[in-house]
Amino acid sequence: MRNAKIAFVFLFAALIVVGQVLAQTDPGVQSGSRGTGATIINPANDPNGFTAFFNDGLNRFQEVETVSNSANTGLGPRFNSNQCSSCHAQPAVGGSGAAVNPQFEFTSNGVAPGSTTPYFVTANGPTLEARFPFFFNSNGTANTSSPNGGVEDLFTVTGRSDAGSCSLPQPSFAAAQAANNIIFRIPTPTFGAGLIENLDESTLLLNQANNLNNNLGIAGTFNHNGNDSTISRFGWKAQNKSLHIFAGEAYNVEMGISNELFPQDRPLPGEDGNGNSGLTGLPSNCLNLSGTGYPEDTSNPKSTPNAAVLDDVSAFANFMRFLAPPPTGSVVLNGQQVSASTITAGSQLFSSIGCATCHNPSPGTTQVSNFVPALSGVPVPAFSDIEIHFMGTGLADNVSQGGAGGDQFRTAPLWGLGQRIFLLHDGRTTNLITAIQDHASHGSEASIVEENFFNLNSTQQQEVLDFLRSL
Amino acid sequence: MPFPHTSLLLAFASFVAAPTWAQSTSPQNTPPNGGDFSNNLQPVTKVPSGVILVKGAWSSASDSVTPVPEGGSVANNIFSNPYFGMSYPLPQDWVEKYKGPPPSDSGRYVLLQLSPAETFKGSARGTILVTAEDLFFTPIPARSAEELVNYSKDNLQADYKLEMSPAHTTIGERTFTFFAYWSPVAELHWYVLATDIRCHAVEIVMTSRDTKLLSSLVLDLNRMRLPAEAGSTPSDAGTPVCIKDYARDENMVARTDPVFTEHRFNPVPVRIIVDKEGKVKHIHFLSAFPDQAKAITDALAQWRFKPYKRDGQLREVETGIMFGRAAHRPRSQTVSATVE
Repeated sequence: MRNAKIAFVFLFAALIVVGQVLAQTDPGVQSGSRGTGATIINPANDPNGFTAFFNDGLNRFQEVETVSNSANTGLGPRFNSNQCSSCHAQPAVGGSGAAVNPQFEFTSNGVAPGSTTPYFVTANGPTLEARFPFFFNSNGTANTSSPNGGVEDLFTVTGRSDAGSCSLPQPSFAAAQAANNIIFRIPTPTFGAGLIENLDESTLLLNQANNLNNNLGIAGTFNHNGNDSTISRFGWKAQNKSLHIFAGEAYNVEMGISNELFPQDRPLPGEDGNGNSGLTGLPSNCLNLSGTGYPEDTSNPKSTPNAAVLDDVSAFANFMRFLAPPPTGSVVLNGQQVSASTITAGSQLFSSIGCATCHNPSPGTTQVSNFVPALSGVPVPAFSDIEIHFMGTGLADNVSQGGAGGDQFRTAPLWGLGQRIFLLHDGRTTNLITAIQDHASHGSEASIVEENFFNLNSTQQQEVLDFLRSL
Repeated sequence: MPFPHTSLLLAFASFVAAPTWAQSTSPQNTPPNGGDFSNNLQPVTKVPSGVILVKGAWSSASDSVTPVPEGGSVANNIFSNPYFGMSYPLPQDWVEKYKGPPPSDSGRYVLLQLSPAETFKGSARGTILVTAEDLFFTPIPARSAEELVNYSKDNLQADYKLEMSPAHTTIGERTFTFFAYWSPVAELHWYVLATDIRCHAVEIVMTSRDTKLLSSLVLDLNRMRLPAEAGSTPSDAGTPVCIKDYARDENMVARTDPVFTEHRFNPVPVRIIVDKEGKVKHIHFLSAFPDQAKAITDALAQWRFKPYKRDGQLREVETGIMFGRAAHRPRSQTVSATVE
């Protein structure tokens, strides 16, 4: 009898061990250097000298902005951060949010001394922007008939010595949480963005047409630019047409710096009178805080060298445009290097079960570039179709941008995924398996593919995860 | 000399009080309520979770009585779709875990998605997907379910291998085109069965690693109830005649273009039923923003068609009109034919 008990315990323990071995695991963020963050430009083949523009953009991307009285002014009066690279940091300048969230220190390190750290900003959580899907009624309930969706900047310049008498309230994030009226976004990485920008429209349309031949329930569409009707392609909902627009909007919305594309300081969505707030815009003592007039970021005709003539937004756009795609790399799982054959198998499985229908490994080859030869006629291993898809109730954020509705999102490019920390549009998870699970919900185009993934055996699932972390 | 002393005291008091007043009157401490701001940490109602309240281009219809293709539902383990006249008792231990996405602007419907329930005892799991391809709008060069299947077969991705060429089979007294392919890498098999029902190619796609399971699911489809095939019984005289591209000048008496108030650039596929007198009696938007639907509805109210006769009888006509830009075609072929 005693022997039987011992055997049972041994068997039980063995089963637990086997279970752990068989269970699939996200290999996690790959720490080895892959060379991400380099430029795509070959300096030996740069007839127009754009390498200087890349380097200049890289420098400006890392400049810390102040409100006034410095070389880099214009910050605020509302902002999410004071430096592009503080949000676009992982694994290199231009990427997504880093492991340590700089926003957590802003109220204590002098960046936003008069602000309160919002409840969702944590030291090691994702770097976030917040939006309220709906305006509030005067009684504090969200008015679901009055969509908002604009960025609610987390901090204000209140209390800064370079901000004069400007004193602004922060939106009440706690009240928004109480009303379940708040959603989040993390920074999109910008590596390889110049290749996406340089994909011909007809290439994307043809991909879309060919993709309709699937037995997975997938049928995406495109978001369009309201001015010229062409396909827009940057941002979580593909709401931005070009890298210039992307940079100009971020400079204005995330850092509060008016520029040649967005020439006014930006009040909050309701601060300008929307949502029956009764407000009439930013108070006069919060305008022109830099003292330079508007826009705060302009071209600099008298500057030298050539690159310095550009305004910041153009410099940022050039930096992102000339960032090389993130290189793939080897994968370490539980301290062991994953074999190349496993990565290959995972790649094949990724395609076979339907992931590649949206996460298109190569949506095309770029058109001829007038910038640099490195952007001309090259494949774009973005793992995205640049389409927007219905992602269902599980991922819906009830924010509409351009033609994208509350549950439509651009297929997130997966290049660089191996070194990304926070996943999905709101950074809700760091685990690939959870991210895959969250693709399925009511109304999602990806439910069948998600199920296909979990219908693979454990080894196959692990191969897919290993492959994804090789990107 | 009390005055100077008092003045100094007042001045000092003012100096001290100023920062205090500045704080107390600061908007930081008194944010307005409404718009972006709320002080209410216990609101009466919350925004419901898991509900899509802000929709982009979405499906809608001019009335809630006339069945629409996406209008199926599962009740008592039976999937019923009044538009297609389909009734499908779910296989034992299979459930509708998630509803599908709304109709696409290219004319694709996900009618039903099934997964094994917790009680499922099989060795390998799988999925059942029921879709409909609107043959009025599909960019795929296909005029029928059979052509759609053949197109799929001819354009299989390199990941897949053909397991069975398209062939006719009968399910529920109805002809289906059946083909199968599989992924050697994933060891997943796809069984695809397609049939024509009312201007659509309805496809049933079953996926699993277990071909025995798939075969049993195909056999189980015989419990499905489907409408009689077009023209095979007099009963179909009561349903509208499906005619692709019917809204042509030669069929029309009056036509007014919609006046859009906003510039949008999405395809707006609209399916209409024209009554026996030539008036538009039902409008179904597969994908449209509300302002687009309103403008198109206003315009269609003024449209008049010539009454349509078949075999000497006045008949209702069902057709599709694409407003806005149409989706790209995967091939240069064009298709224009009557679909029924």
